[in-house]
Amino acid sequence: MNHPPSYFVGIDAGSSDTKCVIIDDQGEILAHSVRSSGFNFADSAERALYVALHDLKTDRSRIARCVSTGYGRASVAGAHRQVTEITCHAHGAKRCYPRVRHIIDIGGQDTKIMHLDGNGQLLDFRMNAKCAAGTGTFLESIAVKLGRTLSEIDALALRSKRELTLNSYCTVFAGTEVIECVKAGQAAEDIAMGLFRSIASRIREMIPNASDSIVATGGVVAHCKSMVNALEIVLGAPIELPPLPQHAGAYGAALLALQSVDDGADEPPVVTETAGRGDQC
Amino acid sequence: MTTSSAPTKRIEIKAQKRLRTLMRDYFLDLDAAAHDPDRRVAWCTSVGPCEILTAFGFNVYFPENHGALLGARKVSHTLIPHAVSIGYCAETCSYMNSDIGAALEDRSPLKEIYGIEGPPNPDLLAYSTNQCREVQDWFSFFARRHDATILGVCPPGFLGEITPAHVKYVRSQLKRIIEQIESQFGLKLDDGKLEEQVAKSSQASTLWREILQTARARPAPMTFWDGLVHMAPVILMRGSEIAIDYYRQLLAEMEERLINDVAAVPNERYRLYWEGMPVWPRMRELSEKFFDLRASIVASTYCNSWAFERYDGGDPLEWMARISIEVFINRAEHAKEAFLNTIFDEFSIDGAIFHNARTCPNNTNSRFGMAQRLRDERKIPILVLDGDLSDVRFFSTAQSMTNIEAFIEQLEGSRG
Repeated sequence: MNHPPSYFVGIDAGSSDTKCVIIDDQGEILAHSVRSSGFNFADSAERALYVALHDLKTDRSRIARCVSTGYGRASVAGAHRQVTEITCHAHGAKRCYPRVRHIIDIGGQDTKIMHLDGNGQLLDFRMNAKCAAGTGTFLESIAVKLGRTLSEIDALALRSKRELTLNSYCTVFAGTEVIECVKAGQAAEDIAMGLFRSIASRIREMIPNASDSIVATGGVVAHCKSMVNALEIVLGAPIELPPLPQHAGAYGAALLALQSVDDGADEPPVVTETAGRGDQC
Repeated sequence: MTTSSAPTKRIEIKAQKRLRTLMRDYFLDLDAAAHDPDRRVAWCTSVGPCEILTAFGFNVYFPENHGALLGARKVSHTLIPHAVSIGYCAETCSYMNSDIGAALEDRSPLKEIYGIEGPPNPDLLAYSTNQCREVQDWFSFFARRHDATILGVCPPGFLGEITPAHVKYVRSQLKRIIEQIESQFGLKLDDGKLEEQVAKSSQASTLWREILQTARARPAPMTFWDGLVHMAPVILMRGSEIAIDYYRQLLAEMEERLINDVAAVPNERYRLYWEGMPVWPRMRELSEKFFDLRASIVASTYCNSWAFERYDGGDPLEWMARISIEVFINRAEHAKEAFLNTIFDEFSIDGAIFHNARTCPNNTNSRFGMAQRLRDERKIPILVLDGDLSDVRFFSTAQSMTNIEAFIEQLEGSRG
């Protein structure tokens, strides 16, 4: 028996990982997946979609609409629409927390802050300047320098007893500063927490009023509890996380795919920078 | 939501063909003057005392134009390191650094475009710090290099209200420049000639303003990107009949577009303002991106910088002094904000982009909260775009394009 297409797909082709979320016509998440983006967004999107469809025990014929987002959004084959990750993260977070006013997305390549008004409308957004400091790449880079994994840095930071401030704006200088701290005999736990505080301080600069509801998304908060702790300390406000923080952008994209049907839009799939296989979702 | 229905093809401005000829003639004549012992070449800043120079008979060359050209040809970042190597900071003016680097390396796009040796050697360099103090050091480098006379005007800066005392002070500096040129070059200024130059400058500038103002119409017949191309005569050929004739033609073409409802961006959906310097090396990518998004940048601070007040006779030096200090870049925050509020109304602006040019703090107005204040006052989205006028190393294309698309999504969302 043939079922009509009733699944809505969001694919977030991010700089580090590609995430996929499949939802039903009520916006409920049915399946999700994540794959490393590597050098080929088209391929990673294809693999992420395949895994999600496989988990759902279904195939492409059930897909009604697909929206792509993230840095590689233009390379996702078969997407009906491309939307920036800023709009998608806002939609994903808003669905989980309708009263959210600030969304912090800490991604691999950049950190984005979105401010919503009382009606959930995007009021303003900011992105970190062209620099790795304040992003997931910053943490990964320092972790490599210290010969640890990001999980190990997170575990260390959770045991921090003493506040340690890293002052450098630049990833390279911060790396040097960390080495100086090691040489000075500072506790590894405190240095690790200092890294997360450093990111939180950069984020503080982009949130003028931290008293309203704040939601954090992205891979860093999904995998590092210390990042959430640091944000709460520096911003002085509780941070809420959606059920799948790393997939918030893909979820928002899937919600926009569903919304585009509600809007009556009937667009053919568009791909502007196909870099890999041409299968359509 | 980013629209997927891209507009149709861009319609070329017909006058552009003539502009290419004018530019060629200008540079060839400049080169000829530099090689003629009976003629003299002066270098001048873009809102500097050029009418005095042309009244004395100098051919005038504008290094800022060369800086922009180096940026547009995407070579600045290869030249800047040469200036840095002799002590110029990489985070100061990328026009200056790339121009100095080009001189050190004997490179210039003028060679390939016009077949000339490059920028003409100066007999005199005249600057005004009404735009920034960097021009003084930029010109000083070349004055030392060519053992040429350097003269400058240093108007009071960051002005709110402009008083007669301010004008008088700058006028006295202009008078002093005239005296210095007369004594050093053995020349005598013809007052009638200066008045004629000022009248022609004013005429060209007035036409330029009228051309820019055609974009108040919906849809706009021209954009900021067109302005960047067609502003060359009001700077390089100010005080000449050539510039006046050219702008009459361009104005007629824009008026014809208005009559025939020809849009620079077909199906114009968003009307935007560009604050700050252009991003010369990414001009094409940015203009195409906005075009695809059906966003028409209908006005800008930059192109308006040469739309001076009209000269209605009287003391030409007083007019020069006044326009020199009235220029946007030389004004206080509140005066700039008032100007932006007025122009946002005049051009029915839906949103604004503030370019945070890393090496040009003087012509960047997003550093003291102005963008946020205007956003809150006017309830319109404002995007601050990080970049630079010439040095691509300060510009991330991927991040910028995402920012621009998200900005348009925000604009669309705000329409409900």
